[in-house]
Amino acid sequence: MALCRNAKPASVVYLLYLIVRLRSTAVIRRLRKHKMRKGNEMGIIETKGLTKIYRRYQKQEGIVGSIKGLFHREYEEKAAVKEMDLCVEEGEFIGLIGPNGAGKTTLVKMLTGIIAPSSGMVNVMGYYPNKLENAFKKQYAIVMGQKSQLFFELTTGDTLNLFKEIYEIPHREYQQNKNYFVELFQVKDLMNVQVRTLSLGERMKMELIAALLHNPKVLFLDEPTIGLDAVASRQMREFLKEVNREKNTTIVLTSHYMEDIKMLCRRSVVVNHGCKIYDGDTEALFEKYQKNKRISVTFPRKVTLDLQSIGGIVLEEEGFKKVIGVPRESSSQAVAYIMKFSPMDITIEEEEIGKVVERIYEQEEAAYA
Amino acid sequence: MRKYREIAVTYLKAQLVWRADVIFNMIFTIGKIIFARILWGAIFEGKEMVAGFTYHGMMSYYIISSFLSQIEMSGGISREISDRIRNGTFSRYMVIPVKIDRYFLAMEAGVVAFYMVFDLFAAGIWIFLFRIQFVFTGELLMIVGAFMMILLGLVFMVQLNYYLGLLTLKFQEIGTFLMIKDNLAAFVTGSMIPLVLLPAEIVAVMRVFPFYYVTYLPAMLLTGRCREEMAAGLLVLSGWCILMELINRRTYEAYRLKFDGVGI
Repeated sequence: MALCRNAKPASVVYLLYLIVRLRSTAVIRRLRKHKMRKGNEMGIIETKGLTKIYRRYQKQEGIVGSIKGLFHREYEEKAAVKEMDLCVEEGEFIGLIGPNGAGKTTLVKMLTGIIAPSSGMVNVMGYYPNKLENAFKKQYAIVMGQKSQLFFELTTGDTLNLFKEIYEIPHREYQQNKNYFVELFQVKDLMNVQVRTLSLGERMKMELIAALLHNPKVLFLDEPTIGLDAVASRQMREFLKEVNREKNTTIVLTSHYMEDIKMLCRRSVVVNHGCKIYDGDTEALFEKYQKNKRISVTFPRKVTLDLQSIGGIVLEEEGFKKVIGVPRESSSQAVAYIMKFSPMDITIEEEEIGKVVERIYEQEEAAYA
Repeated sequence: MRKYREIAVTYLKAQLVWRADVIFNMIFTIGKIIFARILWGAIFEGKEMVAGFTYHGMMSYYIISSFLSQIEMSGGISREISDRIRNGTFSRYMVIPVKIDRYFLAMEAGVVAFYMVFDLFAAGIWIFLFRIQFVFTGELLMIVGAFMMILLGLVFMVQLNYYLGLLTLKFQEIGTFLMIKDNLAAFVTGSMIPLVLLPAEIVAVMRVFPFYYVTYLPAMLLTGRCREEMAAGLLVLSGWCILMELINRRTYEAYRLKFDGVGI
């Protein structure tokens, strides 16, 4: 009271203004959360017209161009994400796919607040991500396949201890979660091993444990299986499925690997040149646009294949190894035919994402024409 | 607060992994003392006093100031921030619920704690071996003041290097800034020569800036000199710390929004 009596009128007004401002911000957030809980009026992630434009310096070639650049620079603007509308419901497992430079990672960076949008609306769990509030950061996690949160010199246990304090996880909850994930990932023996000595697959498991320790509501995964072998990738997919099912964690997965998307995501969003070109059922997407399969096969000797009758073609050939492209519906026939030559090794892969994107585009263009 | 303590402890643990670092750092400390003994031995040849210092007083000053400059390792912060921004991994700090400047302060505390123990140990041994009559103030107020100044000085250097690192968001290349800072700091902190040897006008100008109080004045205070400058020094340094805190907050908020690189 003494403070109030001595304070100048202007500072009292300013104080009142600050209180009202803080209160109104809190009220808006509570309203948003209430809306979200009430009736899915808002998704856990929602964007409208979200756009990110980068400015790039266009340097002319050669030494003269470099000197010119000292005095005058020209910039070009590139829209990495254009007018993106997206709504993700709580508990969804959504796949974000597209070729390199499509804008997937930029979108994820805007959703996590790492970069600010140029325009448009973005709302994640009732927060504007780029404000980078701690309360927001405590509710999500991001795992990037090529970036690490672990301390390479120390053990995973040391990093987990640090994350316990950083995320202010109560001791009991920390122990429960740690035990749950250590059991799920079967990494008990690796907890006291220096991170730098772990294999890539083991390290990715540890990255996931560190990310999931604080029970995030939303998990962003950027190429989590990059560089992993088939066994490790399959394990990783199983774990993610389990986490989504058991913890109801909303997962946004960015991947180039069709297997990841097919196995995990009921819904897919295809992005190209910063625009959303498909948003819907994953099965329908592949049924409609993924026309071919790739069969890589190594023979014990030189063979000549006649694939015309099943509509297949040899895409690559090196020594006794051939990569064959066949229509999906003929893939079993093709395999049966190849087996007649007693191959030493055979791998069947889905067609790469670039082809799928190309077909979606072709179809859109045909529709407009 | 606990989270920052744990960050410091984690970085301390990370330092302890590197045994070679410990050994080389101790060798550098020893090397510096040997060099100082040879240099000042030659300067004091046939003289009792130089610029008001006895030989042992000068050696004591040198040992303290080189110890302080050795534990001031915040230069790594600007390089870490700069490298991470340029390589697109700075987001590591942005996505966790911490204040990034405090994260780096805690990180530095962990690293300094590690080097402090080993450097102190090395210095102690060599003081004993060279039979240096170590001059150290017995006045409690001066000791407390000097330690407060050391702490504020380290905080300031972390803030400065954090700021220089953040400039990468704007300029992308901060090598020139770092070079200027390093050269300036090496001279102005008084770790090369006691600033008292410089003309009074230059010293007067230096008193306005924070570097004077990072190594030089605390070393002088601990050797029982410049008592009259202590209070003003603490005030000036505190002022600089507050100013840097404000500048850093503003710089981070402004530049992270303007940053145009794809990776961060």
